[in-house]
Amino acid sequence: MKTNIEVVPIETDVLVIGGGLAGCMAAIKAREYDVRVTVAEKANTLASGCAGTGVDHSWAYIPPIHEKMGWTIDDLVEDHCQMIARGFIRRDLLYMVARENYDRMLDLEKFGINIRFDDSKIPGRFRIVYQFHSMPSSFNFDGRDLKLKLTREARKRGVSIVNRVMVVRLLTAGGRVAGALGVGTSDGKIYSFKARAVVLSTGRANRLTRGVTGVWGNHRIPVNETGDGRAMALRAGLPIINMEFYSPANYSIGNFELNLGSPRNTVQPAAAVTAGDGEVVVPRTRFYDWDNLGREKINARRNREKALAARGNARPSYAQLTREGKGPFYLDLTGGTEEEIKYIEWSIHNEGKGSLFLEYLKKQEGFDFRKDKLEWLPNSSEIAGTAASGLVVDGNLETEVKGLFGAGDEVGGVPWAGAPGAFTMGWHAGELAAREAKKLTAPPEAGGAPAESLKEQVSGMLDNPDGLHWREVEIAVQNLIDYYAGDVRSGPLLSRGVERLREIEKKAVFRAENAHELMRCLEVRSIMDNAAMVLTGSLNRQESRRAPFAFNRVDFPEQDDKNWLAFLALRLKDGGFTASKLPIK
Amino acid sequence: MFRPIVFDEKVCDGCNMCVTVCLMEILERSPEKGRPPSVAYPDECAFDGACWLHCHLRDDGAIKVVPPLPMRVSVLRGKEKKGKGAR
Repeated sequence: MKTNIEVVPIETDVLVIGGGLAGCMAAIKAREYDVRVTVAEKANTLASGCAGTGVDHSWAYIPPIHEKMGWTIDDLVEDHCQMIARGFIRRDLLYMVARENYDRMLDLEKFGINIRFDDSKIPGRFRIVYQFHSMPSSFNFDGRDLKLKLTREARKRGVSIVNRVMVVRLLTAGGRVAGALGVGTSDGKIYSFKARAVVLSTGRANRLTRGVTGVWGNHRIPVNETGDGRAMALRAGLPIINMEFYSPANYSIGNFELNLGSPRNTVQPAAAVTAGDGEVVVPRTRFYDWDNLGREKINARRNREKALAARGNARPSYAQLTREGKGPFYLDLTGGTEEEIKYIEWSIHNEGKGSLFLEYLKKQEGFDFRKDKLEWLPNSSEIAGTAASGLVVDGNLETEVKGLFGAGDEVGGVPWAGAPGAFTMGWHAGELAAREAKKLTAPPEAGGAPAESLKEQVSGMLDNPDGLHWREVEIAVQNLIDYYAGDVRSGPLLSRGVERLREIEKKAVFRAENAHELMRCLEVRSIMDNAAMVLTGSLNRQESRRAPFAFNRVDFPEQDDKNWLAFLALRLKDGGFTASKLPIK
Repeated sequence: MFRPIVFDEKVCDGCNMCVTVCLMEILERSPEKGRPPSVAYPDECAFDGACWLHCHLRDDGAIKVVPPLPMRVSVLRGKEKKGKGAR
């Protein structure tokens, strides 16, 4: 029985693939150029992506505060390069994020996001806290309903949002992007997009590990972010970097796995981490005196040196401490004032899954931060340095395929760009894509009847009662990554992993009973491609690289900056991988 | 296996906003108007809470997100409420 699948043709000027923060910002900005803009989103832009249920922090260079203090944008960039990235970074892109995110926060304010507070003593009435840098540089803001507001703004501007469509294939013609193909996740139709420019913004690559809870796997990152962008870019012949930096996450609030991260993040300043016997492992901290923030002059270099030295104490290796017999560990806010705890609960409620977490803690666990503690446990593995993996782009966010831009966590080489990276790169990519689209009178024609080929592939899965259920394949791949790309890697182990993954790929003939299962099968195909990159990247990087990269090879135990301070770019060629180094200047 | 989403059918008005926003597409609209959705794929819930967040009747208990046992936090209960004041 051959399934007859309908093809829905959509022609647009700018196609945005992935409707998270970066994609929504790209679409909003692109419409200022009076071009047709279409967002293709796998779930629904109202609640998709890492900020789907909120984001509470956004770092930036904030002139009204930082200029007055004598802290320059070069100081922020230097902090980020040294403290966060240890030099392993696209400095040009980081500079752009640092420089432009203040303006993006003002744009968010125009879209109805509150960033000012009556009780704030800081210039601008912002709430600015420490997060990544030696000076407070993070807006702490009312970001819970951000995706709702961005979706409304996009619709107001006439962006066409196509939800429940998973894009799986990029279309190109003569070195230019021509559009993309997707599959409806509930209607099972093939969506054939023709576009003059494309922004790829599908976010991170999750679902590579069985995880610590035994439920999906890593729950910190959205479970439906399966690195679809990386997979389709790879299959279109583009290079992908940094996939080898995949490692166990450090400890955090156990089991629920939300974005609260370290105690110096959302739960600062009152949060400490204590051991079971009460010994303080990470002490609580203090906010910068808000009477002086934005007013006093500081010594930027001394600040950076102090912060670099203190960073180690704030991020111990809990795994090592456990081996020394110091566990169990607890997140401890019991030393906080009432005012501090209220502030922290406000911040949590704006962070992703935070409101749900507070509701669950209160109603289902009867938990009170004032007297109870939360156990600090290992979190599931993920791409290290958060989203440092991804596309290779030039300083204008364009890939080597003309008209194809990357934005947000899709772009490689900018560790912890996060929400600021999404806002700034999204805005930039949207603008550039719109301008590129205006140069063409028609979308390029992708030859070869690609919709027919996808139809066949999809039919194959739907008409295949003897195929494998997607979850079987996913678990098999995750087991592989957990073992061969674990804490300790070596050439022979990784080669074996690569071989076994090839065997799984051959055996992974999927069966899907409906459009929803079809979508899951296609996600697992992305997962397999990402797994292949994790293993192959690891095999090719012949060195170890210290935290935060936590890339350990027993056969190359030393960090080798002379040869390996470089991004490793993987490409698919003739059914196999090629690897090349992109030295970091 | 899991029972991630619990609807109170006395409170839910069947607006289906939860179905619209669900990250993992696990909810299915009821064929009857005004009735809560059914959970078509209970083992695929991501526990992100978008459904609960977008429910206009959530304060009245129309929808509840219930993390499964392995995802519940581990709590060290304190004794009486500590006095105010930072250490």
